[in-house]
Amino acid sequence: MGNTQSGMGQGGPPGDKDGKDAKKDKPKYEPPPPPPRPGRKKRRSQGPDATSKLPTVYPNARCKLKMLRMERIKDHLLLEEEFVQNQEALKPTGTTDDRAAEERMRVDDMRGSPMGVGNLEEMIDDDHAIVSSATGPEYYVSIMSFVDKDLLEPNATVLLHHKSVSIVGVLTEASDPLITVMKLDKAPTESYADIGGLEQQIQEVREAVEIPLLHPELYEEMGIKPPKGVILYGSPGTGKTLLAKAVANQTSATFLRIVGSELIQKYLGDGPRLVRQIFQVAAEHAPSIVFIDEIDAIGTKRYESTSGGEREIQRTMLELLNQLDGFDDRGDVKVIMATNKIDTLDPALIRPGRIDRKILFENPDQNTKRKIFTLHTSKMSLAEDVDLDEFISQKDDLSGADIKAICTEAGLLALRERRMRVQMADFRSARERVLKTKTEGEPEGLYL
Amino acid sequence: MANEDGSGPVDKGKAKVVDPPKKDDVVMKDANTKDAKGEPKEEELSEEDQQLKSELDMLAERLKESDSNLYKPALEAIKDFIRTSTSSMTAVPKPLKFLRPHYDDLTGLYDTWKNDDDKLMLADVLSVLGMTYSDDDRQESLKYRLLSPTNDIGGWGHEYVRHLALEIGALFNKRQEKEEDTQDIADLALSLIPYFLTHNAEADAVDLLSELEMIEVLPKYLDENTYARACLYMVSMVNLLPFPEDIAFLRTAHDIYRQYNKLTQALVLAIRLNDHDLIQDDFDSTEDLLVQKQMAFIIARQQISLTPAEDDEVAECLTNSKLSAMFQYMAKELNLADPKTPDDIYKTHLEHQRGGASSSVDSARHNLASTFVNAFVNAGFGQDKLMLVEDEASPWVYKNKDLGKLSAAASIGLLMQWDVEMGLSSIDKYTYVDEIPIRAGALLGIGLVNSGTRSETEPALALLAEPGVLEHDNPNIRMSGIMGLGLAYAGSHRSDIADFITPLLSDSNNQLCALAALSLGLIFVGSSNGDISSSILEILFTREPAELKDKWSRFLSLGLALLFVSRQEEAETTIETLKAIDHPFSKHTQVLVNACAYAGTGNVLKIQQMLHLCNEHIDKDNKDKDNKESKEGDDIFQSYAVLAIALIAMGEDVGQEMVLRQFGHLMHYGEGVIRKAVPLAMGLLSPSNPQMRVYDTLSRYSHDNDNDVALNAIFAMGLVGAGTNNARLAQLLRSLVSYYHRDENALFMVRIAQGLLHMGKGTIGMNPFHADRQVMSRVSVAGLLTVLVSLVDAKSFILSDAHYLLFFLVPAMQPRFLVTLDEDLKPLAVNVRVGQAVDVVGQAGRPKTITGWQTQSTPVLLAYGERAELEDEQYISLASSMEGLVILKKNPEWEAEQDS
Repeated sequence: MGNTQSGMGQGGPPGDKDGKDAKKDKPKYEPPPPPPRPGRKKRRSQGPDATSKLPTVYPNARCKLKMLRMERIKDHLLLEEEFVQNQEALKPTGTTDDRAAEERMRVDDMRGSPMGVGNLEEMIDDDHAIVSSATGPEYYVSIMSFVDKDLLEPNATVLLHHKSVSIVGVLTEASDPLITVMKLDKAPTESYADIGGLEQQIQEVREAVEIPLLHPELYEEMGIKPPKGVILYGSPGTGKTLLAKAVANQTSATFLRIVGSELIQKYLGDGPRLVRQIFQVAAEHAPSIVFIDEIDAIGTKRYESTSGGEREIQRTMLELLNQLDGFDDRGDVKVIMATNKIDTLDPALIRPGRIDRKILFENPDQNTKRKIFTLHTSKMSLAEDVDLDEFISQKDDLSGADIKAICTEAGLLALRERRMRVQMADFRSARERVLKTKTEGEPEGLYL
Repeated sequence: MANEDGSGPVDKGKAKVVDPPKKDDVVMKDANTKDAKGEPKEEELSEEDQQLKSELDMLAERLKESDSNLYKPALEAIKDFIRTSTSSMTAVPKPLKFLRPHYDDLTGLYDTWKNDDDKLMLADVLSVLGMTYSDDDRQESLKYRLLSPTNDIGGWGHEYVRHLALEIGALFNKRQEKEEDTQDIADLALSLIPYFLTHNAEADAVDLLSELEMIEVLPKYLDENTYARACLYMVSMVNLLPFPEDIAFLRTAHDIYRQYNKLTQALVLAIRLNDHDLIQDDFDSTEDLLVQKQMAFIIARQQISLTPAEDDEVAECLTNSKLSAMFQYMAKELNLADPKTPDDIYKTHLEHQRGGASSSVDSARHNLASTFVNAFVNAGFGQDKLMLVEDEASPWVYKNKDLGKLSAAASIGLLMQWDVEMGLSSIDKYTYVDEIPIRAGALLGIGLVNSGTRSETEPALALLAEPGVLEHDNPNIRMSGIMGLGLAYAGSHRSDIADFITPLLSDSNNQLCALAALSLGLIFVGSSNGDISSSILEILFTREPAELKDKWSRFLSLGLALLFVSRQEEAETTIETLKAIDHPFSKHTQVLVNACAYAGTGNVLKIQQMLHLCNEHIDKDNKDKDNKESKEGDDIFQSYAVLAIALIAMGEDVGQEMVLRQFGHLMHYGEGVIRKAVPLAMGLLSPSNPQMRVYDTLSRYSHDNDNDVALNAIFAMGLVGAGTNNARLAQLLRSLVSYYHRDENALFMVRIAQGLLHMGKGTIGMNPFHADRQVMSRVSVAGLLTVLVSLVDAKSFILSDAHYLLFFLVPAMQPRFLVTLDEDLKPLAVNVRVGQAVDVVGQAGRPKTITGWQTQSTPVLLAYGERAELEDEQYISLASSMEGLVILKKNPEWEAEQDS
């Protein structure tokens, strides 16, 4: 392992001293100085992490060749399992655990406590690196030999010894804890069934996001690349976020959700870094879907700007552009964005190749309105006289959210009068209220 | 409701050969049906859907009525609905969905109807509907399809045809188990094949036929446009198929290539089949001398000897005698002609000068290493700065001690490799020297010069196979003669040479006897020659147990094993015979024979067998002292088993990668005897293919506490990088030099590895796979394996005085160049694109076969996994894969385009 080598390289001088000693009692010299720790051999024999990755199987098409290759991998894995099990069974038990515990303790001793947390800036050679700590200064430090060098990479978070500041460990969770928060652990309860109408939109999203992850072979057979992402746009309350929730509910892929404004950070460079990390996490947990709500928070058109904050936001967007269709292939990461101001977005952001499908969400037509009404009222207890067709046929410019608001408002009104049923009158006044508040928001033609 | 058409029972009937998403489907379906039940049914459908549904309901009702006149129009209407419906990719077409509730009724109806056209038509419709009812094991689609023969299967769409193919496979297996007649299914299947082939689904066609075990019929369905893709697909499946099927595939593909006059491709497959008659037949099947010459180049690369052709030039190509001239040409073009000294390779100026440390190193050892490095680096170039320098006061040969002189003299042979005439004259002067080792070395050198090429005059035979050599008093002379013959005629299968060597099998000297067996193995590699194997077996049986303990005996086993390289089953009898020997030695030999027999097949069962051998921990400590003495070396079969795993897995990409993981476990759990073989096996797995993950691991092992492991890892690093000039490896090796500067053995090994890394100044590789990594050169494998087997016990062979065994690498050394020749076999410089090869099997359209290419002018060097293609269409390549020597023909159409 690199450690022994490091022992050598670290000290040309000590090595030479060794040599002089060795010359005195020559025959006893043994080239690789035995390491003081017993734990090393085990670690070494496990080999680098890279070998534990399974080979990728081509072609993607559904054919026997693919099956045979997969089976071959399975066979080999079975062999491995068998071998390891046999060996484990043969191994004398007991001693290993103790030894492991002892090794652990020694390493812990060496690490000391508390440990500082730093950022690996640069690897100099196999056993030296430049680190920076949160407080600012950068140090040229040595890397302890027991640190797994495969995990060390520039920008990794490392543990530093409190006195010598040498690297004593790597924090494997390389990404910001912020990102893990974004990972959706619990699927939202909304499913496709909770969406009224929007058949067209659902189909488009599924084609662009879900099916490429489930059946990549379909696209391959056709000889096309599946779309990389979609943008959902349309006026407020038309169900963009709802659809994204349904996608999250339905899919087994990792679902990362962010709001555009989250990407705006206090410090310079934090925003772009966050974007990078999000996509890195997404790639690690591929297949995954990244949902960025309210993309207009960072995705507005670029223009000459004097404010540093503006520029930082633009840089964040540039990073996003790069992540969407940059040099590295993102693989099985699909992006869904949502906005209600698509015309303010930077054209580069939504060009084909970055966002292949633009899906418009319109205010519901009559049919859809009916569906949405029935959906929302299906769990309410309605009085006999309620006839929803009245609202449906009215030419109000209602969005899905408005309809929901009407239903809720009607329910509230009924509640106010301690009735157990919602009556038609409730609906009527609810509609008045909703429409009133809706128009109040925007001054009518005052400045036009 | 929204979800109904979007996420309905997704891809029912679509889960084909591989259906990983099945589970999701079920879950989704459940969710949907639940939702569907929760809501009033009418509201879920849009108006059009509603209309469609009611129409279909009506039609279905009509079928249930008694008025038979209405049947036909009703069925027609249903058909029409189904055919014209479009839908999202993975959803079930709506008409099918709405008809589902009626399916059971309709099947019931079918049985009651009387036989007429209507009934056939109903069967037709039911067959399509059956697709949505793909409960396993019912094969309803197929059942009704068989009941209504039709010519227009494709009319129902691709998805339907695929579904049918799937059911055919399933039903065929079921019937075969019950031994029922399968003719009707087969007929139906055959009617599907043309559909597949015309719809870009060659893979489906091949899959279906292989399912029905009748791949042989494929050729008659193919045409100009489809054969190439079908063949490509078939050939890439071969490695993964069980025994009789793979041969059938290869033969079919071979026939197809023959049919379309792609002789070079056919020839490559014939070589893969290891069928000598077929190769000869392919070779003789054309009148076109150019094509024949091209084939001769391929055959010469594989080192097969055919009966010489009438045409002199073709015969010349067949003997590979052009190789030297072409190699020199390439060297000149690439500015590599200047010889390099070992110091250039070591980059001594970069090494830390440690005062006095290096002087303590045994200088004879140092010189010996330089000899080898010099030989490897300048191999084939015909000039160097050590050996072939005329006017020096003290020739380099004399700077070596004892057997070192042998290796030094022999290294001339390597320097002059392939160039028989010049080589012999350079060696000539050493054949008259009094010193026995030098004379012996010269003899070995003669063998080396002739390795990989043949000459009409048979100089090697004339000079080596004479009584003055083979019956000489000195064992070293005899030994060199034997080795020289083995190397010169490796893979030739010539029995007249065997006649010279066989008598030496009974030589009293263990070493000679073993090397004679080894040489025979090399000459008859992969021939499963009965005479030779029985004579070696006889020796094994008559030997005293004590004699079998000798370190050299391993080459007896190896010689025997080499006879069976990739002969698979044919080795069984020999293995059975070996079991009769009551000596641990028998087990070692069995392992080796098994390994060789399945070399390059990727056979998982054999790998498993080998792993089982590695399972045992042979505990030496428990035995008492004298017992231990006799047991020493008994566990060596475990080392062989490790090598065997690599040998079997090589050549099959998936297995190759997976085996690397396996080696990690072996290293972790194994005893020393296993551990020391692991680096070697890793080297064997990817010679001349420096992958980061492999040499990184090896570099770790090269600092192992166990010196044997470290030594072997160092050698393996050389092997992995052989002839690549890989800068990273070179740096790793240089750092090893300073690390091991006081360990003689390790230092020697590092030097050798450095020599290997820069083999032929980066122009000669040792990968046994050629012709687009399809064909395994048996001779190369034999050469590599010989050296690795000796390295299993490095300290008693290579690091002791049997360093000349390293010359067994020579048969594996092949220039990794691409030289394009014109029709007169003169080198022709054209522009080619060189890039990483891409696996294009089973991809739609005409994808690029290489990626990340650079345009260069020939001659060019090709690294592992690289492929070249001509830049423009001015010339047509006669060879299918652009590597080695390739003849180009002018493209008649190109000129015309230029003019216009």
